[in-house]
Amino acid sequence: MPQAEPAVAVRGVSRRFAHRWVLKDISMDVAPGEAVLLVGGNGAGKTTLLRVVSGLLRPNKGDVTLSGTVGMVAHHTMMYDALTAHENLTFFSRLHGLKIRARIDELLGRMGLAHVADERIGTFSRGMLQRLAIARALMPEPRVLLLDEPLTGLDDAASHTVIDVLGALEAQGVAMMIATHQLVELVGTAARVGYMVNGKLAALERCGGEAGQVVERYRELVAGE
Amino acid sequence: MTRRDSALRLARVGGVITSVALVAFAGIYVRALMFTPIERFQGPAQKIFYVHAPVAWAALLAFLVTGILSLLYLIMRDRKLDTIAAASAEVGVAFAVVMLTTGPLWGKPVWGTWWSWDARLTSTLFIFLLFVGYQVLRGALHDPEIRARFSAVMGVMALVLVPFIHVTVYWFRTLHPEPVLMKPERPSLPGVMLVTLLSSVAVCTLMYVGFLLMRYSLAVLRDIREEEIVDGVS
Amino acid sequence: MRRGRWWSATGNWSPVSNAATLQAIFAIAGKDLLVEGRTKTAFFSSLVFAILVLTVLYFARDKTSVGDLDLAPGALWVTFTFAGMLGLNRAFVLETENRAMDGVRLTPATPTAIFLGKVLGSLVFVGTVELVSLPVFILFYDVPIWRELPILILVIALATIGFVSVGTLFASMVVRTRFSEVMLPVLMLPFLFPPVVAAVQLTRGILALRPLSEYSGWLSLLAAFVIIFFTFSLFLFEAILEE
Repeated sequence: MPQAEPAVAVRGVSRRFAHRWVLKDISMDVAPGEAVLLVGGNGAGKTTLLRVVSGLLRPNKGDVTLSGTVGMVAHHTMMYDALTAHENLTFFSRLHGLKIRARIDELLGRMGLAHVADERIGTFSRGMLQRLAIARALMPEPRVLLLDEPLTGLDDAASHTVIDVLGALEAQGVAMMIATHQLVELVGTAARVGYMVNGKLAALERCGGEAGQVVERYRELVAGE
Repeated sequence: MTRRDSALRLARVGGVITSVALVAFAGIYVRALMFTPIERFQGPAQKIFYVHAPVAWAALLAFLVTGILSLLYLIMRDRKLDTIAAASAEVGVAFAVVMLTTGPLWGKPVWGTWWSWDARLTSTLFIFLLFVGYQVLRGALHDPEIRARFSAVMGVMALVLVPFIHVTVYWFRTLHPEPVLMKPERPSLPGVMLVTLLSSVAVCTLMYVGFLLMRYSLAVLRDIREEEIVDGVS
Repeated sequence: MRRGRWWSATGNWSPVSNAATLQAIFAIAGKDLLVEGRTKTAFFSSLVFAILVLTVLYFARDKTSVGDLDLAPGALWVTFTFAGMLGLNRAFVLETENRAMDGVRLTPATPTAIFLGKVLGSLVFVGTVELVSLPVFILFYDVPIWRELPILILVIALATIGFVSVGTLFASMVVRTRFSEVMLPVLMLPFLFPPVVAAVQLTRGILALRPLSEYSGWLSLLAAFVIIFFTFSLFLFEAILEE
């Protein structure tokens, strides 16, 4: 049976900052509609890997191939505090060559932000910002979505909204890479887990759906290093 | 040979070249003071010229090297190019300072003024200022890759700027003639003086190369040391 | 399959049409001005600075020995360039909060479009400061500005485009350093020398009602500077944007 083309193909990616190699020879594929969790300690390279996949960082070695548009939700909102939610989305939509007011309104509605569309985002809570960031990432109908600690600072309700959205996206065939510490909430969403230890992809395995298993496996791999 | 060994060897070679150049420079100066005739109009003060002009040439050479290597770095992205460009800029600042101090020392007794805003002098002053700006920029950027890229951009812009500075001042002077006492140009020299001058230029070039090699090897050794620290070797 | 090419803004690169680039340029300029319009701090600082400089220069001279025509052109251009420089940093400082520039880099907007958008936004900013400080200038100096307004505006526009292009490139660099407000003038001042000298000579020639042939050389120099440095700044900007 012919292999379907992966949505994300990472080949031999290495990246250093000054003298430190933060990513060492990483290779992995993500299929359309598949969600891969990236787990690892601080400084393991999860954020750097996501930034390389998104194109924000250039790898020193290797390359990344994407099957379509990429959206990213990161630690920083990557938006303008002085502008309203609507203005921010309109601005970025113009840069994508879209400007469909209806779509912007629909996205804001879907993420539960319609009532604050005309408020400056500098006043938003962390949860609202995260939802807006997801709306912005989804605007160009990306085939690949990269999320860096998407649930940090969110209360239960906001977390559930996000998890539901991710589930719906998976069903639509969007490939996802999610870097996270919050295994309990997200382990159900993921098909596979990538374990990052010290800049290397120590293992990339099917996810059993059990947060405890993932933690165990991670400890094993760290000990093995 | 390890990287460290080849860098140390390069430093030694640079040291030898520099020492030879310094001795030769002293020798030339003896020749300039003792064996070269005193210039008719300028008197003994003209002897400073044998330091000033070649040093100015070396500063200009350093500037060109930095500028051209900056352009090459942006095309080829080889870290070595940036390291050499930065070393050249540091050496260039030193030569520029000597140039800017010997210039007025020569100018005052000969033309009665410490400074004149003519095209050549102003251009050399700006070369000095651009060097300083380059160093300030490098000092303010800590990531080596960003530092290399940004200073390369600055190096290219500086290279393109200097001809404009020269033309601007030249037009300013020709369109606004001011009483010029004597233009500080290189006068046409009789044989003996010319030989002294050219020898001095050659020696200064050699000195530049020697300093450049030493500064470059120092940068490489520092790099190696930082790598070792990061890798956990003490 | 689209490859993530390291030298494009991001992996989202796709063949970008001219119309899309134009839309991106205006979107970025518009966004910059909207953000500035909300906060207004940079604009008022620039304006106050311009008026202060003009005032100080006016009162600092000896009216009996230095004529208006001698001092006015220099005063005008010192004011314009220094007040203008205050506004150049803001174009990139606003992108560093929340890492907004990363968001822009994730779109298909090319480095060219980003640079042109930034330059356009800064041109409107600086142009407005110039426009508002010009009446103050006229108040202080008795010079026949109205008769020669068209060509004077051409000279002001040309010189402003020159220093805003170079300034935008340098601002994008210094925003990554700790003392960006100080670093920008330090790096930029040598680059202001040709356009400002040319602009001052041109302004003097124009206000002295001299014939065009007398100062056309300066106009060529200014034009050459603007063309060459605008082009270089545009191409070098991509090297600053990548990571």
